[in-house]
Amino acid sequence: MAATSPPLPSSFTNRGKLLSNFTSIKPFSISLNDEKHCRFRCQIKSFENQPPNLSVDFLSGNEPVHLNSPSPMSMASDSAVKRVCLFYCNETKALAERIAAESDAIELRNINWRTFEDGFPNLFIPNAHRIRGQNVAFLASFSSPSVIFEQLSVIYALPKLFISSFTLVLPFFPTGTSERMEDEGDVATAFTIARILSNIPTSRGGPTSLVTFDIHALQERFYFGDNILPCFESGIPLLMSRLQQLPYSDNISIAFPDDGAWKRFHKQLQHFPTIVCNKVRIRDKRIVRIKEGEAVGRHVVIVDDLVQSGGTLIECQKALAANGATKVSAYVTHGIFPNRSWQRFEHDNGGHPETGLTYFWITDSCPGTVKEVMSETPFEILSLAGSIAAALQI
Amino acid sequence: MGELNPMHKKQVLLFYCVECEELARKVAAHSQLITLQSINWRSFDDGFPNLYINNAHDIRGQHVAFLASFSSPAVIFEQLSVIYNLPRLFVASFTLVLPFFPTGSFERMEEEGDVATAFTMARILSNIPISRGGPTSVVIYDIHALQERFYFGDHVLPLFETGIPLLKQRLHQLPDAEKIVVAFPDDGAWKRFHKLLDHFPTVICTKVREGDKRIVRLKEGNPADCHVVIVDDLVQSGGTLIECQKVLLAHGAAKVSAYVTHGVFPKSSWERFTGKEGGRDSEKGFAYFWITDSCPNTVKAIENRAPFEVLSLAGSIADALQI
Repeated sequence: MAATSPPLPSSFTNRGKLLSNFTSIKPFSISLNDEKHCRFRCQIKSFENQPPNLSVDFLSGNEPVHLNSPSPMSMASDSAVKRVCLFYCNETKALAERIAAESDAIELRNINWRTFEDGFPNLFIPNAHRIRGQNVAFLASFSSPSVIFEQLSVIYALPKLFISSFTLVLPFFPTGTSERMEDEGDVATAFTIARILSNIPTSRGGPTSLVTFDIHALQERFYFGDNILPCFESGIPLLMSRLQQLPYSDNISIAFPDDGAWKRFHKQLQHFPTIVCNKVRIRDKRIVRIKEGEAVGRHVVIVDDLVQSGGTLIECQKALAANGATKVSAYVTHGIFPNRSWQRFEHDNGGHPETGLTYFWITDSCPGTVKEVMSETPFEILSLAGSIAAALQI
Repeated sequence: MGELNPMHKKQVLLFYCVECEELARKVAAHSQLITLQSINWRSFDDGFPNLYINNAHDIRGQHVAFLASFSSPAVIFEQLSVIYNLPRLFVASFTLVLPFFPTGSFERMEEEGDVATAFTMARILSNIPISRGGPTSVVIYDIHALQERFYFGDHVLPLFETGIPLLKQRLHQLPDAEKIVVAFPDDGAWKRFHKLLDHFPTVICTKVREGDKRIVRLKEGNPADCHVVIVDDLVQSGGTLIECQKVLLAHGAAKVSAYVTHGVFPKSSWERFTGKEGGRDSEKGFAYFWITDSCPNTVKAIENRAPFEVLSLAGSIADALQI
C-alpha cells in the first residue's frame, strides 16, 4: 500500500459535524480500487482519551461518509468503542434488539412500564444506579399522541441520573408534514414536538443528541433550541445497498413524486438517472404528471420520505407505467399507512407495472407497520439497526 | 377571592378543550368580561391533531386564556399544541387554567429509578412560550403536594387556588350546619386544608400498619353525634374514603359526607358510592358527596346521581382570570 497522502476530497470537510469529534486524522493507507471510486481507509488508533478505533471509508465525489462498525480486518486491538446502555419502549423492542445485535458495545436495558388506574404512567427504571457514568440512549417511537407522555417521562428522567451522555433516537419524527403555517390560525404541531424535545434536561454530557431519519421538511432542523443537538440521518444508504444487490441494477431510475422529494434526496442518489413528477391542477382535480426524465424501458424506483394513504405513490406509479416503465418499485423511509392503507399495494410479478409494484421498501422506523407488512408482498423491510448502532457512536 | 377592583377589569377571550366546553360556558356566563372563542379540533388519518384557531388575528392585543383538562395522556398533546401556540399570536397576556393537575399523587421519588411524572408535567407546562404579557399564568386547584409548586420554572407563574370556599358556602346552607365536623383522612390532607377550615371542629384519621394490612384509625378528635365531612383534594378508587367512613361511624358519627376537589374515579369507581348501600337514604352510605367540575368526564357520569353534588369552579375561575 502506498503511504503518500494526496489532498483530501471536498467531502471530507463537508462532514465537519462528524469529524469535529476527532482532533486529528492521519491517513493510514490508500488503496485505489478502480477508476470510478477512490477509496481512503483511515484507521484511527486513538484520540484524546477515548480511542474508538474506527475505520472510516471515504468515497470520492459527494457521497456521504459511512461510519462502518469495526470490521475484524481493520481492528488491531479491541480498545473501547463507546459503550452504550440502550433503553427502549414496548413498540421499539424488536428494533432495539436488532441494534444491540449489531454491536457488542450496546447493551439493552429494561424499564417497567405500568399504568395507574387513572391511565397515567407508573414507571420505574430498575438498577438506576448502574447507569451512572454511562452513555445512555433511548429508542422512542411517537406512533400516536397517546404514547408520547409515558416516553417523555422517561426521556426527561434519564438525563438526571448522573449519566455521562444522553442520546434520544426517534427514527420517525411525526407531525412533520403538518408544519406549514398557511394561515395565522394553523397550529404547527411539529413545533410542539420540537419544543418538547428541546426541553430535555441537560446531562453531564451536555446537550442531548437527537437522532432522527429523513425528517420531512429540511427547515424543521431549525425548530430545535440550543439545548439539543439534532443529528439528521437518512435511510437512503440502505436503499442504495439494496438496489446494488438487484440483477440489472444499471437499469434503475429514481423517480421523485414531487419537487419536495427531489430537494430532499437528489444529492444522495445522483448517480442514478432521475425522473421528477409533479401535480398539476386540471379543473378540480390534481393529476400526477412526469415533469422531467425518461421512464421507457426502466425499472423505476419512486423515492419519498414517508407514505400515508399511498394515494400519491399510486398515482405516480400509474403515470410511470403509462410512460413506459417496465417495472415500478417504491421506497419510503417511514411507512405510516394509517388505517392499514398498505393493503392497496399489490405485487407485480412481471409485466404489470400499472397494477402492482415489484418491490416496496420501507425501514423499521414505524414498528406497528413492520408487524403488519413483514410477510406481505411486495413489502421488504430495510432495517435501520446498523445505521442507528453507528449513530450511537457519534 | 375578594372584591373585584373596578380598575382591574380585563376583557378575556377564553378558549377551551373539547372536554371542558360545559365548564367554559359556565365561566363565560359568570362575567360579561369573558368571551368564548373556538378552535377546530380535528385529526389527521395518522391520529395526530389537525388544529385551527379561529379568528386568530382578532386575538392580537387581547388577554387570552385556555381552559385545559388532561384527563388522560392521550389528550395532552393536542391541548399542548394549542397552549404552546396561543402565546405567540401577539396576545396581551396568556393564562392557562388547568383545574386538575394530574400525576400529582405520583411525585414521590422513593427510590432512584422512580419516574416522577409530575415533574414531566410541570416541565412541559414550564416551557410554555412567553407572551407579550410576560410569563404565562397557570391556574391550578388544590394541587396534591404543596412542594409541587417548586417544580415549575421561572417562565410560568403558577396560581394555586382552592375549592374549599365552595365547600364552606355549601356547608353553611345545610340545616345541621351547627353540628358539622371536618375530618381529614390523613396528615397530608390536614396539612393541605386545616387552615382554611379552622373554625370547624376537626377529626384526623391515620393509617396504621397491622401485619400486612394498613388500617384507618382515628388519631384525634371526636365525631360522636355529628355530621362529619371528610375533606381531601382528590379521590381515585374511593377505598380510603370508605374506610374512613366506617371508622367514623364506628365512633358514633351521626352522618358522614365527603368533599373532594377532584373526582378522578378511574374506571367508574364512583359506582361504589351510588349503589344501594351508598344511597342517601341508607344508613351505611354517604349523606352527601361533593366534587367540583374539575374532572369533566366524571361530572358527566355522575350527573343527578345521589349522593353526588357538583360544586362549580366557574365563579372562582372567572375571578382568577381577572388577576
